Amino acid sequence: MQIETRLSDQIAHYLDLAASEAKLTAANMANVDTPGYRAMDIDFETEMRSALAGTDSMDATSHVRVKPEEGLVVRPDGNNVSMDRESLKLAEAQLKFKTGVSILRQQYAMVMDAIHADK
Amino acid sequence: MNLFGVMEASGSAMQAERMRAEVVATNMANAETTRTASGVPYRRQHVVFAANEDFANLLGGAPTGLSLNSPSMNPTQPFTNTMQPAGGVHIAQVVADNASALKRYDPGHPDADSDGYVSYPDINPLTEMVDLMGATRAYGLNGSAVQAEKGMIASALEIAK
Repeated sequence: MQIETRLSDQIAHYLDLAASEAKLTAANMANVDTPGYRAMDIDFETEMRSALAGTDSMDATSHVRVKPEEGLVVRPDGNNVSMDRESLKLAEAQLKFKTGVSILRQQYAMVMDAIHADK
Repeated sequence: MNLFGVMEASGSAMQAERMRAEVVATNMANAETTRTASGVPYRRQHVVFAANEDFANLLGGAPTGLSLNSPSMNPTQPFTNTMQPAGGVHIAQVVADNASALKRYDPGHPDADSDGYVSYPDINPLTEMVDLMGATRAYGLNGSAVQAEKGMIASALEIAK
């Protein structure tokens, strides 16, 4: 018998991806003044799809593909990190994470309700 | 990979930016210093930032199309931190400016040369202030990133409640 729902597995992947996105954004922010540094990004939707396709393996996020961020203005020192864009992306990742957490809590609450159904 | 690693990356940036602000403050403080320990006028100092090397492995996967032109630095790095979190930044070097000293005619000055000129460091307060503003903004940016990461960790703890 399995206690976790299929959805809760998927949400776990979603949380992992949101955390990866936050980490990448933080790395970009950390290197906002490093000469020659290029901002990195992940394609959230593609990664989420591939994580769902192989949803049984728990290490689906271990091969997240990192790609250079497109369409940014390169400064004279070769750096193309945009402070505003990274702040926005971090806020977005944070909200994604919180969304995932609240859905996951709901899933667990459902299971708990089922456990306590006889009371 | 864990959420605390995110804070380490932001923390390394805050440390590096604070160091940059300290160097700027030293430059401004010594704008009129004509005599240092070695007997020559003070020379303006620059910090050189470098991305931590293991950035490509940040998310534990082989990156595709990754082109990170990390500047090749002198391996003798007195300011390198022993701990370099992945995705973070460190100060590779603090280098002295090569600009020649400014000469001012002041024959009465004890450091004047035989022609009566005193060598002053070539420090422009405007350049230093702009650099300080950049450091302050980047520090604030990474500070708010830490705040966001704290929020994420706090909400992850909510799952178990």
